Amino acid sequence: MISLLAKKIAARRCRRGELPDSVCRYVKGFSGPSDLAKPLGEVRFVVFDTETTGFDIAKDSVISVGAIALSDFRINVQDSFEVLIRRDSVGESEAVTTHGLLRKDLDEGREEQEAVEAFLEYIGNSVLVAQHADFDVAMINRILQKKYGFELFNQVVDTASLAKRLEKGPYYNLAHKSGEYRLDVLLERYNIRLYDRHTAAGDSFLTAQLFQMLLMKAGYAGIRSLRDLLLK
Amino acid sequence: MPSNTIVERVVADLLKYPPFDQLDPAVLKDLAESVTLTYHEEGEVIFSKGDSLKGHAFMVMKGAVRLFDSIDGKEVLVDLCDEGDIFGVRAIFAHHDYVLTAQVAEESLLFELPVDKIRHLLETEPRVSLFFAGAFAKSVEEIEHTLSEAFDVDRRLFGEQSCNNFLQNETLEVKPVTTVITCPPDISIQEAAKIMSDRNIGSIIVVSPENHPLGIITDTDLTKKVVSRPGSIKERPVSSIMSSPVYTISGGKTIADMVMLMVKTKLRHFCITEDGSPDSPVAGIISEHDIITSEGNNPAVIMKAIMQASDRDQLKEQRNKTESLLQVYIGQEVAVHFISNIVTEINDAIITRAVDFSLKELEEEGEYKCADIPFCWLSLGSEGRKEQLLRTDQDNAILYAEPPEGEKEKAHEYFLALGRKVTGILQHCGFVKCPADVMASNPVWCQPISVWKGYFSKWIVTPEPKAVMHSTIFFDFRPVYGQARLAAELKQEIFSLIAKNRGFLGFFAKNALQNPPPLGFFRNFLVEKSRDHANEFDIKARAMMPLSDAARVLSYELKVPEYFSTAERFKRLGTLVPGMKDLGAEAAAGYEFLMRLRAVNGLANKSSGRYIKPETLNKIDRQTLRNVFSTIDKVQKTLNLRFQLDYIRD
Repeated sequence: MISLLAKKIAARRCRRGELPDSVCRYVKGFSGPSDLAKPLGEVRFVVFDTETTGFDIAKDSVISVGAIALSDFRINVQDSFEVLIRRDSVGESEAVTTHGLLRKDLDEGREEQEAVEAFLEYIGNSVLVAQHADFDVAMINRILQKKYGFELFNQVVDTASLAKRLEKGPYYNLAHKSGEYRLDVLLERYNIRLYDRHTAAGDSFLTAQLFQMLLMKAGYAGIRSLRDLLLK
Repeated sequence: MPSNTIVERVVADLLKYPPFDQLDPAVLKDLAESVTLTYHEEGEVIFSKGDSLKGHAFMVMKGAVRLFDSIDGKEVLVDLCDEGDIFGVRAIFAHHDYVLTAQVAEESLLFELPVDKIRHLLETEPRVSLFFAGAFAKSVEEIEHTLSEAFDVDRRLFGEQSCNNFLQNETLEVKPVTTVITCPPDISIQEAAKIMSDRNIGSIIVVSPENHPLGIITDTDLTKKVVSRPGSIKERPVSSIMSSPVYTISGGKTIADMVMLMVKTKLRHFCITEDGSPDSPVAGIISEHDIITSEGNNPAVIMKAIMQASDRDQLKEQRNKTESLLQVYIGQEVAVHFISNIVTEINDAIITRAVDFSLKELEEEGEYKCADIPFCWLSLGSEGRKEQLLRTDQDNAILYAEPPEGEKEKAHEYFLALGRKVTGILQHCGFVKCPADVMASNPVWCQPISVWKGYFSKWIVTPEPKAVMHSTIFFDFRPVYGQARLAAELKQEIFSLIAKNRGFLGFFAKNALQNPPPLGFFRNFLVEKSRDHANEFDIKARAMMPLSDAARVLSYELKVPEYFSTAERFKRLGTLVPGMKDLGAEAAAGYEFLMRLRAVNGLANKSSGRYIKPETLNKIDRQTLRNVFSTIDKVQKTLNLRFQLDYIRD
């Protein structure tokens, strides 16, 4: 209900010309009812990952976003996305080096607003997929909230939860053994070749391969529509 | 714009495998951007025989995919692809449907590579087009079909009229002979043989009163089961020797289908019945001959042109044509014995014409008058064994009858002049000079029979390991022109020398055992018993010579008088040596496989084909090679036992 209200508010602000055109196109994409009956093969999923200066949702900020789409169970390299975000305070954070992003790269990045608008344009009303999706969604939402006063309207699938659900059933408590569902561990378990990790785009590509396998297995487990997948 | 990081990941994946490993990463960006990844569970079918072509080829990134053909409901495995293998390339070259079915054998991640991007690479990157023309023909699915299509892609390499004709004909129906000659099962073998010779046909179908096929009798059956057997069995009914059941098929088969069937069944005659089963009336017959000649690639045309040639340039042209004929045959997986027979016939005809031309020139120059002395032109080594598919070094010699007293020197001069002229023409036709100068133009190897007998006597009576090794090619001599009786006389002399000097065979056999076979391949290395690895495989030294050497030793021990090929020697040995029947057949088939592999490699690399890079071999070739290695091992053990070589090891 909150989201329905948020959509209405955003739509009204668009009509008043308070939001940029690209953002309004994004908002408009959610004007119709969401079609939960759609078979999974007809859904466009966008698998994404964010790299941030740290893990504090309140304080840290997004440095880069990478994403790749999966439609008709196929990962399409052409339909991928990557953006670096320029910031001034970047040199202070240690995360910079662990993410392999140098100050120089970030200087070449885009302004936060420009980056996030490009991202909204790319994802449209697709279903978002991420590993431990809550964190990435929260990071994006913080920017959206700050700039436009709303949060992502998209449906979201978390690959860790999906893997857990397929392996153990939907009621297994993930909290006890969260280690088993880290991206590295999942990739190894599903025999997906790891290359250098730690770039948003690279991780999103690996997560997409994982999600592709999970979707296939989900099909065998009787999960056929978006509703089945989202447990709605 | 797609993510640069992801595109680079895909480029890095492509760069790991041929042909992309040869390319500048920047060139691959365009292809990488358009790649689609798909994931498949075991048992999924990617495409089926008869499906229309997709817009992309496939590369296996993880897992395994099996490719098989179905012929009249039977599955025939053609290839097994795993990481880095590309399949479904038919989509790049052809306009018809898939001819094989691709099914996931282990859960797989596939890259789909759009054909327009690959075509673009083919146009701009010669190395890629070479790969698709050469390596692909071997390594990828439609072995029978892709090569010929690939010819079309790179005309600079393969552009010959014959190939184009062939291309157009690939999906043409093979026209069966519909006026089938049949006979009832109870007539005598003699009567059947008479029908066959009267009608000039190579086979006859034995039918029931309802005209259903019961069996077939071919020339081979008559030779093997009647002529070569003691006693008269000609009065027996044909049903006692017919091959039964006949392989029956339905009508409307294409050349590609038939070649595939011929390769897989190793049969040479197929009977067409009304509904394709043996329980319906005979409607036609297709023989190997019909299949081969239906392409318009008729070796007879080349033979005729050679026989009518008036100068050396024409001979050269025909020999070049033979090479493209060879490519088509190899691509079609035509039986190697068939190909080597044709190539040998053509080579022999070229030699014959070269000798004719040279004799005529000598006559016109008029300096010598020794034309009355009988002589014989000998081919040696692989050409002597009728195994030269690609043009390798010339190895030849002249053997002439004893000249009258006082004319010895003049005769030597004369035949030497002949040798120089003939080897010159052969060189002009693309047969390079022998680096060791074993040629008729060398005074040492252009000698009267007495001297030749002396040579062999020296090799046999006082054998030295090194001399034995160097003399092996002479033991494979074969008369090609002139008086064959001189060659036969020499061979008999050798047999009697060997009979008197049994120790020689021990040396000869020991030479044949110098090279134990490797164990097999692991990834891109040749694995040796000594635990060494090599990344190049010398197919001649490591696989062919051990077999041809062994066959030679045994053939001389058992006094086989014919001028046989290695495969023929093994087949004969199978009938002569107790307990060697299966091993003989196995070794013969193995040797023919090696000949094919070498020819394919040579054609792909424009070389003698001797050195093979393991990474260019596909799964099936590797598997087969491994089997051949174990056959070599068995042959060597047999030889060792027979000559008790462990006692005379130094």
